[in-house]
Amino acid sequence: MTDDLKFPVNGVKPDRDSLDDSLTALIRDAYAPPGGDSYWPGLEGRIMARIASHSETDAPWWNVLAPWARPALVAAAAIFALAGVVNQQFVETDSQLAYDSILQSVTPDVVATSEEIISVERGTDGATISYFLSH
Amino acid sequence: MRIPDEERALAEAARAGDQTAFAGLVRLHQRRAYLVARAIVTVHEDAEDAVQDGFVRAWQAIERFDPSQGFSAWLNRIVANAALDITRRRKVRSTEELTDALRAPFRDPAQDAELKSRLAEALAQIPERARSVIVMHDIEGFTHVEIGEMLGIPGGTARSDLHHARQKLRELLKDLRG
Repeated sequence: MTDDLKFPVNGVKPDRDSLDDSLTALIRDAYAPPGGDSYWPGLEGRIMARIASHSETDAPWWNVLAPWARPALVAAAAIFALAGVVNQQFVETDSQLAYDSILQSVTPDVVATSEEIISVERGTDGATISYFLSH
Repeated sequence: MRIPDEERALAEAARAGDQTAFAGLVRLHQRRAYLVARAIVTVHEDAEDAVQDGFVRAWQAIERFDPSQGFSAWLNRIVANAALDITRRRKVRSTEELTDALRAPFRDPAQDAELKSRLAEALAQIPERARSVIVMHDIEGFTHVEIGEMLGIPGGTARSDLHHARQKLRELLKDLRG
């Protein structure tokens, strides 16, 4: 047993089974892409193009509406405000109508009552009623 | 494990949906990812497909990535899975086809043509998984455990595959090595 095996350098045992450097260099060359270093920027571009196209395909259909989100919110707020104003006007009109209808329905009764009193007081039975009321 | 600040920052930004940050991660890791894929599928075109698929899957799953862990290890497992998917879909390739795939990328015309040809033939004769292990270990320096995680085999099996692959390669090339 050699010292290398007893005391491996930096805790790593030397790889005595490894191929010689010239053979390793040949294999490296055999597995290199065509075009050398100029191949890599092109590969990066193709990968990113695929990712971009996948991102577009994977996006939910409602993402098409995304650019319209802000104008749609402004329009919705304007419609909401307008609806509030219109509603307020309807409420005021309704109140006015209700008030008027109450006035119109109450006034004839009062008049009728007054007329009845008058008629009762002036009627043939007025003396009898006056008698009962005074006793 | 010490994760470089740049990688951590890019990974966190990518998790938040930043595609530019993810492009930075692609730039940092595409070479190693390519070698992982190439070690498994052998053919360049398939390796590129696997790398692209791997990065797209990583982007789609980026929310599940824990930035305190290394992005490289996580990505390489995804790329290896994409490459294994491709090998499962493909029919078994002929030795001739594999030899051509390994011979083609040689770029240095000064290199001995016979040596290149013999190496390609020898690599094509090594079983698929053992070939992946020898390339990942001897070319890119992955550990047996890392290779085991990527290929879905125990680290001990990766070690044994490596030993047999080297033995076979030496045997096939012994007449060329003097």
